[in-house]
Amino acid sequence: MSVDRSRAPKPGRIRPFDFPDVDRRRLDNGADLHIARMGRLPVVSVNLFMRAGEAALDAEHAGLAVLTGDTLEGGTRRRSGTELADALERIGARLNVSTGWEGTSVSLSCLAERLDEGLALLAEAVVEPAFPEAEVERARAQQVADIRQRSMDPASIASDEAARRYFAEGVPYARPQVGMSDVVESFNRNHLVGYADATWRPETGGVVVVGDVDEDEIESTVAGHFGGWTGRPALSQDFDVTPRAVERRIWIVDRPGAVQSEIRVGHVGTSRTDPRVPALTVLNTLFGGAFTSRLNLNLREEHGFTYGVRSRFGLRGKPGPFQVGTSVGTDVTAPALEQIVIELEKLVEAGVREDEVAAARDYIAGVFPLRMETVGQVAGRLTESVIYGLPDDYHATYRERIRAVTVADAEDVAAVHIRPSEAQIVIVGDATAIRAPVEALGIADVHRVAPVGSEA
Amino acid sequence: MRRGRTRASFRQAMVVTVAHALTGGAASPLDAQQGDQVEVHIPYTQHTLPNGLTVLVHRDPSIPVVSVNLWYHVGSKNEVPGRTGFAHLFEHLMFEGSAHVPEGEFDTRLEAVGGVNNGSTTNDRTNYWETVPSNALELAIWLEADRMGYLLETMTQEKLDIQRDVVKNERRQGVDNQPYGRAFETVYAHLYPDGHPYQWPVIGSMDDLSTATLDDVKEFFRTYYAPNNASIAVAGDVRERTVIRLVEKYFGDIPAGPPVPEVVAPDVSLATDDVVVLEDAVPLPRLYAAWHSAPEFSEDDAVMEVLGAILTDGKASRLHRRLVFDDQIAQDVGSFQNSQQLAGSFWLVATARPDVALGQIEGVVREEIGRVAREGVEPREVERAVNGIQADFVRSLQRVGGFGGKADRLNEYQMMTGDPGFVRRDLARYRRVTPAAVQDAARRFLDGRPAVWLSVVPEGRPELATGTPPIGEGDTP
Repeated sequence: MSVDRSRAPKPGRIRPFDFPDVDRRRLDNGADLHIARMGRLPVVSVNLFMRAGEAALDAEHAGLAVLTGDTLEGGTRRRSGTELADALERIGARLNVSTGWEGTSVSLSCLAERLDEGLALLAEAVVEPAFPEAEVERARAQQVADIRQRSMDPASIASDEAARRYFAEGVPYARPQVGMSDVVESFNRNHLVGYADATWRPETGGVVVVGDVDEDEIESTVAGHFGGWTGRPALSQDFDVTPRAVERRIWIVDRPGAVQSEIRVGHVGTSRTDPRVPALTVLNTLFGGAFTSRLNLNLREEHGFTYGVRSRFGLRGKPGPFQVGTSVGTDVTAPALEQIVIELEKLVEAGVREDEVAAARDYIAGVFPLRMETVGQVAGRLTESVIYGLPDDYHATYRERIRAVTVADAEDVAAVHIRPSEAQIVIVGDATAIRAPVEALGIADVHRVAPVGSEA
Repeated sequence: MRRGRTRASFRQAMVVTVAHALTGGAASPLDAQQGDQVEVHIPYTQHTLPNGLTVLVHRDPSIPVVSVNLWYHVGSKNEVPGRTGFAHLFEHLMFEGSAHVPEGEFDTRLEAVGGVNNGSTTNDRTNYWETVPSNALELAIWLEADRMGYLLETMTQEKLDIQRDVVKNERRQGVDNQPYGRAFETVYAHLYPDGHPYQWPVIGSMDDLSTATLDDVKEFFRTYYAPNNASIAVAGDVRERTVIRLVEKYFGDIPAGPPVPEVVAPDVSLATDDVVVLEDAVPLPRLYAAWHSAPEFSEDDAVMEVLGAILTDGKASRLHRRLVFDDQIAQDVGSFQNSQQLAGSFWLVATARPDVALGQIEGVVREEIGRVAREGVEPREVERAVNGIQADFVRSLQRVGGFGGKADRLNEYQMMTGDPGFVRRDLARYRRVTPAAVQDAARRFLDGRPAVWLSVVPEGRPELATGTPPIGEGDTP
């Protein structure tokens, strides 16, 4: 018996998926507590978020939030860094610190039966950090080395140069998040102690707990461990985002002999709290956010120029970048760039098709449950709620808002947020080989620049 | 990145450290016993179709999602010199359409239902998966069956040429244009002799990629892409009989292929230390050391992973304390037991502080390995390592799909051990590790044993490379 393979099987009825219920409480010290119960496995994920971020720092202190966060595991008033690591490892817990523009997130992952011990260690690390001199020196050397590593990694060079071209001088987003080596080298223990004292505070931050837990029990456990911790972060973000230029230009960073060119094309985009984020998400998905998006089908599947190309809105507290990024063979740098610009212009001038918008909507709404399998994934979503003050039903109703996006919505946001004539184009590659063909495209003036950090 | 986790040696090894694991049944995935002795398992059923296709089903209705996962028992080890990189290039072609799936539709159809998919190639095997809302199970099975049964009908020179360019860019991005990018293939090339199936990189060489032909594609497909050389695992919100019915419907009439040629790997050992230096556009010197160890899923494989954790995982680990904290000569240090089917290796990677000569780091590494071999390790060090591995095991039970999800693990166990239920025995390997076993393994595999020592140093700074004269056979204790 032969099978009819000629038509793709149609999906049947789907069982509904509900985002886990979130119990939101306010602790006495002003921190928000978000608890979601997921009891499938005895694992728990905790995120503690404090508004100690890079975007609230001036240029003279850029990189200090990252350095202070990275020294958190250096030890407490009660135990050395090695003892702290040992205590965590003995209970199979993982502690991770990540510092970004908005703040510092400390995450703990452990088995449910070890949660109380894990939370105690997390609280001790955050509330009673010791910043031992040797640990500060080591973390500082590490950060300077990371900056040095970035200066030789073509993808990092391109991203750093692009940020500097998109944002006006003085906008924090114009600089690398890890800072510049001369500034970072100037930090000493006093800077870290002062910074943590001023900004590692519970108000305006929050604690997210997801897993096999009981809500009331968690509230009393968290309140117990963080009982004496109070106060409000002393620094806040004080800047407006303005573009550095509104005329399209090409900036080449020379890497003699490079076999590939890193390309970035972009400009200032919008913020995470923009109410039109669902429309932007649909727009970006069909343009460059998924495998079958326009950019990837053109540059990869049709031309074989690249292993992959993506576009992205960097959604932050204030307007971040909109950017297309890829790396392509040196010999196809100019034609690849030309296709990127053609696609950008086409998106704005010719608009989008109903079938593309529908496919993007279905994709985004459909993959949502796939990305809510683990306690860590759900905790990540709830941490976004804390950071950006999203409404309580934000995640539960997210798919509805995506499904409501129309062609007109997508075109409206494209008209505002995709501006090919203002794009700053950065290419990191072999200037001798690529400059003439790129100039011959006639799309913008070409300038040679030294990479970020090299002037110092 | 999709379609091409090449250099899987490294990533796979990293994954192994983080998630050597599996499982979890649906209803009661793990039963907490006393203390940390959690029991893990992935309940499954197994069937074999008349054409030789192995079918594994695991039900987990936690969320309305299902993952369809296929492993083909072919990797770069099956290639021949002159055609390196072919298994992975072929993997790319599997996404370009088949007789009933027009070019481009493999992805658009899956994305339209809210599904994601990917594939990867290692030295040992090639895998493919689709994770989709559970109502799209039949679509995923239809797609996989079509490319297993009917790929060549629509294969063209143009598809090959475009994917060849994509893969060349993948190689440039991951290897040639990447600081330290050539380190792994360099170590492999020195660790294994000419003709050994692990001697060349999964991504292949530019020259070999250039010369691959359409005839190669056809022959490779007919040799390796047959149901008797594959197994399919379906995990998630599904019923067993539905899965079996659909798999029989779409895969049942795909004919079995000829027996797959066996890959024979000669026994390997290094007679002496092999000291290699690469000058590269890198800011900091980095040392790579690799020793032959034990193959995947053996007892020694687990012991070596525990030893690696004791040496380098976390601030309290021995080499981290020495190199990074006390002597302050390294930025970072890591290690992994590179678990592979035919032969395993143990790797250590350390990045020096600026201007530190790698010989200094080599000295400390030798000293600390010697200390483990002479004095052994503390029970608490073993306990700490095993607790971490165990917690990672449990965490990894959360996902049905993707690389390292439950469907992927069932197939891995099936293909590499012949027992899809190996997960229990897998975790048991780690729980059995004793301080004495760790000491013994350090003696047998590392202490004084010849290794590949690769120094990657900034251009023009060869003096930063290791310069220790090689130890000869006679010097080995």
